[in-house]
Amino acid sequence: MLETQLETLAGTVRARILAAQTPDELEAVRVEALGRKGTIADISKGMGKLAPEEKARIGKLLNTTKTGLESALAERQQEFAAAALRARLDAEWLDVTLPAAGTRPGSLHPLTQIQQELEDLFTSMGVAVLDGPEVESEYNNFDALNIPADHPARDMQDTFWLSAGQCLRTHTSPVQVRGMARLGPPLLMIAPGRVFRNEEVDPSHEHTFYQLEGMMVDRDVSIAHMLFFMKTLLKHIFRRDVTVRLRPGYFPFVEPGFELDIQCLICNGEGCPVCKQSGWVELLPCGLVHPNVLRMGGIDPEQWGGFAFGLGLTRLVMMRYGIDDIRYLQSGDLRFLRQF
Amino acid sequence: MKFSYNWIRELVDGLDASPADLMRLITIKTAECEGVEETGGHFASVVKARVLSVESMGESHNRKATIDAGGLGKRTVVCGAPNCRPGLITAYVPAGTSLDGKQIGRRVVEGVESDGMLASGAEIGLNRDHEGIVELEGAPGEPVDGCVPDAIIEVDNKSLTHRPDLWGHHGMAREVAAITGSRLREPADCSRIDKTSSPINVSIENFELCPRYSALVFENVNVRPSPPWLQYRLQAVGLNPINNIVDVTNYVMAELAQPMHAFDADKLTGGAIVVRNAREGETIAALNGESYALTPAALLITDAQGPIAIAGVIGGMDSSISGSTTRIVLESACFHAACIRRTSSRLKLRTDASMRFEKSQDPVNTERGLARALELLMMVSPGIRLVGGMADCAASPKPRTVIDLPMDWLRRKLGREIEQSEVVRILKALMFVVDEPEPGLLRVTVPSWRATKDISIKDDLVEEVGRMIGYATITPIAPATPTTPPPANARRKLHRELRQLVSAQGFDEVYNYSFFSEDAARRFGLDPAAHCAVANPISTEQSLMRMSLVPGIWRNIQDNARHFGEFRIFEIGSEIHKQDGDLPNEIPHLVAAVFQHTKETGPFYEIKRLAECVLPGCVPQPSAARDFEHPSRAAELAWRGKTVGRVFEFHPQMVEGRAVVLDIDLGVVEELGPEGKRYRPIRRFPSSAFDLSVIAARRALSGDLETALRRLAGPMLESIEFLRQYEGEPLAAGEKSVSFRLTIASSDHTLSNEETTAVRDAVIQGMRELGFEMRV
Repeated sequence: MLETQLETLAGTVRARILAAQTPDELEAVRVEALGRKGTIADISKGMGKLAPEEKARIGKLLNTTKTGLESALAERQQEFAAAALRARLDAEWLDVTLPAAGTRPGSLHPLTQIQQELEDLFTSMGVAVLDGPEVESEYNNFDALNIPADHPARDMQDTFWLSAGQCLRTHTSPVQVRGMARLGPPLLMIAPGRVFRNEEVDPSHEHTFYQLEGMMVDRDVSIAHMLFFMKTLLKHIFRRDVTVRLRPGYFPFVEPGFELDIQCLICNGEGCPVCKQSGWVELLPCGLVHPNVLRMGGIDPEQWGGFAFGLGLTRLVMMRYGIDDIRYLQSGDLRFLRQF
Repeated sequence: MKFSYNWIRELVDGLDASPADLMRLITIKTAECEGVEETGGHFASVVKARVLSVESMGESHNRKATIDAGGLGKRTVVCGAPNCRPGLITAYVPAGTSLDGKQIGRRVVEGVESDGMLASGAEIGLNRDHEGIVELEGAPGEPVDGCVPDAIIEVDNKSLTHRPDLWGHHGMAREVAAITGSRLREPADCSRIDKTSSPINVSIENFELCPRYSALVFENVNVRPSPPWLQYRLQAVGLNPINNIVDVTNYVMAELAQPMHAFDADKLTGGAIVVRNAREGETIAALNGESYALTPAALLITDAQGPIAIAGVIGGMDSSISGSTTRIVLESACFHAACIRRTSSRLKLRTDASMRFEKSQDPVNTERGLARALELLMMVSPGIRLVGGMADCAASPKPRTVIDLPMDWLRRKLGREIEQSEVVRILKALMFVVDEPEPGLLRVTVPSWRATKDISIKDDLVEEVGRMIGYATITPIAPATPTTPPPANARRKLHRELRQLVSAQGFDEVYNYSFFSEDAARRFGLDPAAHCAVANPISTEQSLMRMSLVPGIWRNIQDNARHFGEFRIFEIGSEIHKQDGDLPNEIPHLVAAVFQHTKETGPFYEIKRLAECVLPGCVPQPSAARDFEHPSRAAELAWRGKTVGRVFEFHPQMVEGRAVVLDIDLGVVEELGPEGKRYRPIRRFPSSAFDLSVIAARRALSGDLETALRRLAGPMLESIEFLRQYEGEPLAAGEKSVSFRLTIASSDHTLSNEETTAVRDAVIQGMRELGFEMRV
């Protein structure tokens, strides 16, 4: 009799557990069936009237039923918890395409980037990085570089003069003079920096631009050494082998002096507008250091020799990024600068 | 410098390289060519024609001309030239000819079909005459005398700076002959000049400035236009044909690099030419119509009355050649390069002559110039007669330049092997004289035209040999590499770190010019007179060297505010400060700015945060604002005991919106060097914290309150942290409450409640004694 009642009850409760739609409904089922005053408790209260052997059997059955219902309940609770978590997570959906918070990262000027890249390259080759002032003495900018007053070579560089008689350096070459005085031979140095020419500004001319001077002074420095150094340098700058051509060029502070051309990287020497159909692009004026320059730098040209070169950083930046108007570089225009 | 391909071919026997090939050879071996351009292609079809008749075309200024074009027969052309008249021999351009890139066709002009055209001197490239059709001599159907298609090779003047000899075709021909192994022709025959007596006496007062002055006198001169071939040639290389006499002087200059000048002998006073320094204030009316006042640094050519030319620069108006000239004095001289250059720069007058003389011309050349001119004058001024011989005054000739060239030294410089015989061959081709006084040593005598400035030491010969063997024959060799790390550059390291740091904080790097204007200086409270001033600025906008980076940044803010509502920028660059008697002091600065297009509080604390990133632990001290700064938002920055910069907001009248600026003197930062760091043991006992609120006047500085709290808390204070500040009820107006959290600890035990309370009480008591009410 009790047995049947228990079975019926278990079936009903089990059905109600499964049918519960909310945690509250489930809780109500639990209280009604398994609570202290619940139906199971009621049945166990009625067991006192039973015979001992009957009591043991029913008691066992009652426990089994209760455990079974409790685990069904727990399982159902688990399901509700999992559903609740799923719902929460789903509710926490974010539009991942919305813009990020905080300040956008800043940028470094393209000239800074190329200078740093070249400084790193040269430093790795054991080269010292030196500085010189923007305002130079006439002596350092010209005389000490074998360009005496009234030399027509002074026309090669339109010069800004200060009222006090100094000039704005027209090239980074005066740092050669400073480097020789400071470090003495043997010497391996570069000097990147700002230089000035008194020129009207247009898309391809600026009065303010950047160069990188290089100088090596050692025993028995030859044109072959210079060529090796230049080729290594260019290979790293352009990240590929470049074909170079050396031809005579006149710069009073070197003898012999050269223009180093690279085969046009756009057309590979076939001829295109960039190289003006010649297949070559003029890139690196260079040469063996003139003995007068060594002498004025306090170095004995019979004992030491050297090479020097000048690389146009502004031009390099323009080539690398395809910039067609030099004026953007000093414009402070963020529409331009933020591209780098 | 423009070189005529035909002219060079005339001087080099059997030259068969095309103009483009020749240009390539010259570029690789000698000097940079900028390009080659075909010219005078139309001379293949242009012929002389006789105008037979001219008919009016009604109202039109044009007329219908019938011409006899020789073998081409009779043609009808429309011609607007006023000088088109029956009987005239002129140039006929048949239809189908390309003239200056334009195709000449048969076209109908005002109802008349014009079959080709009659051309002016300018149109066919003889001269610059556009006034009428060219007037020629000869017979219909003939080609225009000596005018044939040519190519002009343009050589970069800069690459000729050291080569006085290459300022003439013969010099370039000499190079070409050496490069191609051809024979060079000498156009001047000096044997034609008699050196005994001249009707004119020449003397030089200053041999340093004028090492040689030579002259010839001619009579029975007939001044008239030069023949077409001469005009064409001058025009093609950029010289303006004027008349036969002047054209000959220019022709010789373009050929032999020897500038010349012709005086009208009848306009000279006295029988002598004296070369002397100008007297102070002496003036001359020059050929170009200008009058020039001279200083004693300039050299003059004078006659008995005074200056007749500024030596090496320009001739005088009064003694110039005119249509009525019948006797001339032809000058061929050599002047000191620097003297000519100084004079020409002072007078701002650069002429074809001064450009050549300033490159150091060869005194030996004056005689060649005269010999060549003599020959040409005979051709272009029929009947002309040389009077007497050459007047010639010269300093004693310079000894020949002789250079010892050790072969092993040469090989070391080139970085490759080379046979001595090859070196000798190359140098001889370039007309050096080479001996071998001992094995392995060459004794090289430099030709006069290379010895004025260009070649004086053995290094110069490395170039001669190197360029002729071709630098492409030198194989790169790795130089011996140093085994020590290069010296460090602390400044660059600092600047690089700062650039990374500041850009990582969201700032974009800008570069500004090193210049600004006087107005900019004044606007930023700087005295223009205190700046280094540019003596020759491009514009008044760029007349001073910047003594501050702030004006540049301000301009960047103005410019970018047009496109962006908010941005951050920075620059690292040098302030340039005048120092008497020395180079300016260039002080690197970092200037950063935040702009917001807002009227709200503004980004002051953002720029302050940047200051703290750059200079950890820096302390802003309120400071009197400069005129362009917000009067209540400006502070000096102290760092490690030094004033290193400033942080401020721009005055609202300077910027629409809010812009704050950080300006740091990196010179001081660099001097202070990296901060030494030392480890402190990590505390092992727990700390205690308590909060305090200080009631203070609204404008009391929280920094001052914090300093007081810090002092009162004593050695157990581990940290002090600002929590918040508050104004309003229940505080009185003009008061604020500032709350801090103080954390205290001991290094050797856990603090008891009593100890913590004792510190807290002492702080409260101390603050009260300082007059602050405490909310506890």
